[in-house]
Amino acid sequence: MLEPLAKPAWTPAAAAHLLNRAGFGGTPEEIAALHARGLDSAVDSLLHADDDSDLFPPPEASVPEYMDKYRRMFPGMSEQERKKVQTEMRREARQLMDDLRSWWLNRMRWSPSVAREKAVLFWHGHWATSVEKVKDPFAMWQQNETLRAHALGRFEDMAKDVSRDPAMMRYLDLVQSKSGSPNENFARELMELFTLGEGHYTEQDIQQAARAFTGYRINQTNRRFLMANSQYDDGVKSLFGFEGNFSGDDVIGLIAADPKCARFLARKIWRFYAAENPSPELVEALAESYRRSGLDTGALLGTIFLSREFYGPDVVRHQIKSPVQWLVQLCRQMEIPLPGQSDGILRQLGQMPFAPPNVKGWDGGRAWISSATLLLRYNTSGTVLSGADVNFDALMPVKSDSCDLIAWRLFQAPLPPELNAKFSAYLKDHGTGIAARRDLVHLMMSTPDYQLT
Amino acid sequence: MNKTLHTRRGFLRTSLLGGAVAWTVPIFLERTFFTLDAMASQEPMGKDSPILVVLQLAGGNDGLNTLVPFTDDAYFRARPGIAIREPLKINDAIGLNPKLTGLRGLYDDGNLAIIQGVGYPNPNRSHFRSTEIWQTASDADKTDSHGWLGRYFDSCCQGEDPAVGVSIGSQTPQAFAAAEPKGISFTQPEQFRFASEKASDPAAAEEFFRSVNETAGESNEGGSIGMLQGHSQGGGDTMDFLRRTALDAQMSSDKVLAITRKSKAPVSYPSSNLASSLNLVARLIGGGMPTRVYYVSQGGYDTHSNQTGSHDRLMAELDSSLAAFVADLKAQGNFQRVVLMTFSEFGRRVAENGSGGTDHGAAAPLFVAGGAIKPGLYGKAPSLIDVHDGDLIHNTDFRSVYASVLQNWLKVPVEPILHRAFPTIGFV
Repeated sequence: MLEPLAKPAWTPAAAAHLLNRAGFGGTPEEIAALHARGLDSAVDSLLHADDDSDLFPPPEASVPEYMDKYRRMFPGMSEQERKKVQTEMRREARQLMDDLRSWWLNRMRWSPSVAREKAVLFWHGHWATSVEKVKDPFAMWQQNETLRAHALGRFEDMAKDVSRDPAMMRYLDLVQSKSGSPNENFARELMELFTLGEGHYTEQDIQQAARAFTGYRINQTNRRFLMANSQYDDGVKSLFGFEGNFSGDDVIGLIAADPKCARFLARKIWRFYAAENPSPELVEALAESYRRSGLDTGALLGTIFLSREFYGPDVVRHQIKSPVQWLVQLCRQMEIPLPGQSDGILRQLGQMPFAPPNVKGWDGGRAWISSATLLLRYNTSGTVLSGADVNFDALMPVKSDSCDLIAWRLFQAPLPPELNAKFSAYLKDHGTGIAARRDLVHLMMSTPDYQLT
Repeated sequence: MNKTLHTRRGFLRTSLLGGAVAWTVPIFLERTFFTLDAMASQEPMGKDSPILVVLQLAGGNDGLNTLVPFTDDAYFRARPGIAIREPLKINDAIGLNPKLTGLRGLYDDGNLAIIQGVGYPNPNRSHFRSTEIWQTASDADKTDSHGWLGRYFDSCCQGEDPAVGVSIGSQTPQAFAAAEPKGISFTQPEQFRFASEKASDPAAAEEFFRSVNETAGESNEGGSIGMLQGHSQGGGDTMDFLRRTALDAQMSSDKVLAITRKSKAPVSYPSSNLASSLNLVARLIGGGMPTRVYYVSQGGYDTHSNQTGSHDRLMAELDSSLAAFVADLKAQGNFQRVVLMTFSEFGRRVAENGSGGTDHGAAAPLFVAGGAIKPGLYGKAPSLIDVHDGDLIHNTDFRSVYASVLQNWLKVPVEPILHRAFPTIGFV
């Protein structure tokens, strides 16, 4: 299990697969460059890319004060005036969210550190937190930064920091949890969805853990975590067969040390990056590797990206692209910027960043595709292509093999012969003008095949 | 899987494209859609067939503040901050949430049944697991990947149009998951088609699109054709799934669009997502879609904190949306054909928590509305004293509600769908 891929199997198609899954795909030139490095160096370059923060100055939402200016206005206001100010506040919050979302999507689109951004996307779906409830762009940005800081690092550090981020504290009601009447929401989802999985804890574990997470509050000045000792239950808790004066961090430590946590996460990481339904043996091997690394996510991803299993025939081109993957990859492949209406597109396709449908995150896999979203993808690719300045002469030069060139760019796999014949015939019938070539690319994207990566 | 693709393709040819495209139909396909025609004539889906609308209240609706035991001291003791004192009386012991005036009207008109204390043994307090249990109708200690409505489609709607199930939303609910999946989902009908008009040659693009999305599927069937191996290697089951979805979308989109374009609601709906969904359902019913089951949902019921305001808003939205939907169906003359049932994955804890909200609980009431139902109060209200770990104990298994709907409304045998018999309830 998890033996390194044999050298001859490191083909351009394998390099494309690595770039698609570890990041958001790329152009034929980028794939060729990755391939030329050889497997070890390719994986290393993805997982140890430079910090890209310089390229992406913080979004407007990174300033915590914007809400304070409204809050300061409240005292002494009539109900009616206050309502007016609140409407204005909500409007500004919406704008800040739009800006934040566009900032992150552009980072996925343009960042040279693609593997980190892809991992941030994974963790966002894992620690699913929605602005619909949190209602605070600053907190959403903060959480995004927390996820980025630990995306390829140690899980335990990430879990502790996420539990202290105002976004999660609000989303799962920690801010109202106090000694004597703990709110169970966070403790339950921590075990069920974030670490152990359903069935691996008892109701008592939840109730006891909830006590350990009391007293978590938000400092209203700098809008960061504040421990309110008077609200904290410092009594003895007993959970998972242990007894002690456990704090929230202690509970996370106990959970992270449990092999079931490594197993739960390793399986989920494999499903996100590789394929549904890994065999029990594979899950065991991944969990063991993750556990030995001290739950170091970057190390686990290294093992995965080097492994023979990752390049298996049941993995390559077997994954349904998530809407974000679909859109970012499309733009990277076609060498165009993200469309202006990316927000609306992703909302309709079912993956609005910063607004997952619930605390479980996006189901992924086949759940991305329904008759509605499939047709929407088909139509949207047409809209994106006609709204962008695609350099067809560079991407799809008129040559005898122009269909093959564009097919490699879009699919990185040989097309079934009958499909290929159809595409060539279309070009023959409709000439090689820009419009015909754009139509053909749109039609190639309007296929079941294009939904896979 | 291949069988499904044949079926779909048969329909596509007979029902949509007709003579528009010259097809060379292999003999085995020909046979398939002759069989289909025969089956279809046995089970006509005319203007009179019964329709079921399932309305999911996602997040765990607080049953005790929906159907309020307003004379029970235990209720007020457990909920000093959020108890409802003056509900809309149903009898001397219970009343509806004050926002449910429309439902109260339906009850008085004889169009509403209330089933009390619905749940299942060994309740699970996880949203996701409990939703799965309701959607698959499994026992709490078993998992089943197929949904109860999916098994209904499998056992009773073979060979029918994929639009036999319609879900309003961008995801297909697990309740529709089936061995031979059926059902389409969409939110905005105007987006539910392939837009070819921007192409330089729209007609050619449209035809090409159809042929590409068609043959992509064709290539993978009939195991006799050797060269297909390569392509299925590229996609396997996932590819089949995508092809089927593409076919279903093509088959249904013309019909859906034609119906929603011409029909306009005779009544005005409030502005909420739920109201828009129900409005769409009413238009599809009025337009004569061959759909038997519609699925809509309303989210936001996970009221862990400060629940009074938010739960009131949800109740008001539910009530006004349902009232408009019923008025619409009555105006169409279709109310007699429709049964709508609500469900939520669980009710909430009897006692309020320290945040003015309620945590995950167990049994709760559900509503059944329709022109042809037998109105009234069914089941027994759960005791607030004799509870299990702070939760209400159910008196009616939710699968009894399903069994009643399947057997007495959709008129199909229950056991193939629910795996065993359940006592039925007399609301339909």
